[in-house]
Amino acid sequence: MAIFSLAFKSLLNRKFTFLITLFSIAISVALILGVQTLKDETKTSFMKSISGTDLIVGARGASSQLLLSSVFHIGNTTNTIKYDSYKEISQLPVVEWAVPISLGDSHKGYTVMATELSFFDHFSYANKQSLSVQSGEISDDMFAVIIGSDVAKKLNYKVGDNVVMTHGGGEIDGHDHDNIPYFISAILTSSFTAIDQTLIISLEAMEAMHTEHNDFHSALPSEQSTRTDTQQDDGHKHEQHDHDAHNNHDTHNDHAAHNDHDDHDDHDEHAAHNDHDDHNDHDAHDEHAAHNEHNEHNDHDAHNDHNDHDAHNDHAAHNDHNDHDAHHDHHDHADHADHAHQHNDTPEQRIARLLQIKPENINAVFIGLTSRQAVLGVQNYVNNYKNEPLTAIMPAVALQELWAFFAIAEVALDIVTVFVVLVGLLGMLSIILMSLNERRREMAILRSVGARPGHIFALIIGEAAAVCFSGIVMGIALLYGLLFALQAPLANHFGFYLDINFLNLNDLWVLATIQISALIIAIIPGVLIYKTSLSDGMNIKF
Amino acid sequence: MIKINDLCFSWKTTPVINISNLHIQTGKHLFIEGPSGSGKSTLLSLLAGVLTPNSGGIEVLKQPLTSLSSSQKDSFRADHIGFIFQQFNLIPYLSVIDNITLPCSFSTIRKQKAITRSGDLKSEAVRLLKALGLTGEDIFQRNVNELSVGQQQRVAAARAMLGSPEIIIADEPTSALDSAHRDAFISTLFNECDKENITLIFVSHDSSLKKHFNHHINLGAINNIKQEQQ
Repeated sequence: MAIFSLAFKSLLNRKFTFLITLFSIAISVALILGVQTLKDETKTSFMKSISGTDLIVGARGASSQLLLSSVFHIGNTTNTIKYDSYKEISQLPVVEWAVPISLGDSHKGYTVMATELSFFDHFSYANKQSLSVQSGEISDDMFAVIIGSDVAKKLNYKVGDNVVMTHGGGEIDGHDHDNIPYFISAILTSSFTAIDQTLIISLEAMEAMHTEHNDFHSALPSEQSTRTDTQQDDGHKHEQHDHDAHNNHDTHNDHAAHNDHDDHDDHDEHAAHNDHDDHNDHDAHDEHAAHNEHNEHNDHDAHNDHNDHDAHNDHAAHNDHNDHDAHHDHHDHADHADHAHQHNDTPEQRIARLLQIKPENINAVFIGLTSRQAVLGVQNYVNNYKNEPLTAIMPAVALQELWAFFAIAEVALDIVTVFVVLVGLLGMLSIILMSLNERRREMAILRSVGARPGHIFALIIGEAAAVCFSGIVMGIALLYGLLFALQAPLANHFGFYLDINFLNLNDLWVLATIQISALIIAIIPGVLIYKTSLSDGMNIKF
Repeated sequence: MIKINDLCFSWKTTPVINISNLHIQTGKHLFIEGPSGSGKSTLLSLLAGVLTPNSGGIEVLKQPLTSLSSSQKDSFRADHIGFIFQQFNLIPYLSVIDNITLPCSFSTIRKQKAITRSGDLKSEAVRLLKALGLTGEDIFQRNVNELSVGQQQRVAAARAMLGSPEIIIADEPTSALDSAHRDAFISTLFNECDKENITLIFVSHDSSLKKHFNHHINLGAINNIKQEQQ
């Protein structure tokens, strides 16, 4: 014990070299622990990207590719599956929920993901946390877009702003879907997943952007329409009504066409509209696109019999209308002259609202099952799906597999940090070695008062142990200082949430290894001074 | 108390010491005179058990050193012998008090003696310092490097005396002091050694110091290896 107190006092006497050695060890310790922490946290954050989803279904291919594209929105999204397949799979009795997603467009480099509103009910990450809204409200409007927190922050978007999507990844200019603008209805809170860098739209809107509806333009009574026909079907009148009402800032009641509107509502409500022949009779002379569209509309009515879809569509239109009015109220009054019609639907949007076409193809389906035991069965069913080649992956398993790719990088990092620690310890060795010669007198004095050569050896080892131990303690302090300092900036600028935990068992092993290595390395000067003190004895050589 | 018989020691192949017979009795102040290179330091190392003779026997306090292992010799030295060197006797990173009490880290016997005498180690150190003419609390707090050479030598003497070892070996302790300080140092050293009944072996090349001692040995005379032979 006396020797260790001596060693400690001896170190204090050489504060400067002691501190330098201390810092080099502290920095290397902080680095090795920091790299471990970052590795762990990266892995955790990676593994937290998705949870609560039992299966992801996509086109047949590598599971990592499907995972990357569906969860991380990285890479190839050209492989699609049929919407009908999704419908069929979602109707399996063990499927509790199924949410289709479709990718492929972007906005200023950020992924645009089309899905259904139920996505927000079912998608979860980390410990089954759901996505939450930071501002605005998730709107069921067809052209509402919900944006991730990073998108909002980096592009400085607010709720109510208008955005336009770009076809593909944005590599080629001039592929903006500027005929279909979106308004931001909600900004999500940070989830530290790919969703933060994503804009979420409806499947119908995605389809609308990618379908050429030129044929239907003539069906609209808009300015560019060349149609002279005055006979229009009710649906179109309704649209016209909306449009006009906007342009004039009139109330519905004042408008002459309002009666038509009511008529239309009546039609929908009692499904008289399905009295299709009637219309056809009316429109008998009307042999152009409007007719097609009308048919389309009727189709919808037909399968709305069971879910009141038409009424819903009307509601949607209405909502939109109200929404627009509201926007006009607090938004556009000031610069009314410039873009009074900013929030009016474009013709393409109006067509899309009427058509409500679901896409034929989607990229992936997230599936939740009623019981975990069903996973393998459903996976098997999907993998052997008869109508088209599909793959079903279990996200947790696929994440593990994908992470295994990074193992080599982990090893490389480990090697580098081990060498950094080694350099720190070698620095300590050189400083101890350099001090030996000037300390021969000290050793001779110690020998004269009865110190054994073993004591002298222990003194050197003790010094190394003390330096290394202080270095480790300081390194830990440095690490936690850095972690606390970097936590907020990392989350803000890189979307990486660093969870600060106490040192785990692995870290303690690393630290123990460093401490033991220091002791082993200190054997070199220890043996040297042992030999010197044996031959020097109490003779002090100058 | 110290008996040397037919002692031979060589550094590698060069013979340094060859003493046929030397007896030193308890309580004496012995002056060993010898010019530089006459093997003074080697003799002291042999007495301290740091060096092992090639042949012959050394008996200290009736204990034949040759029968002890090297670590037993280290313990024996710690328990029974105090040293004062020429200069730079003190460990620079220890305080005055810590320097004085240093032998107690290696010898429980001396630690017990010191505690029995003054209650605790620090009081004993202070008592010895005062006896050696170093007073004032500020000295105890000072860094040893800030002390004058004379003060340093007195601190070294206090360390050698702490816990009353039987023997104090002083190797040219006064060579760094001027003559006034030298005489004062020697007389205080004598006083304290008499009080504690410590045998003092004082080694120097300076024969002018001989007058202070009632016993003296010329190493050149008893060492059969002559300077010319080396």
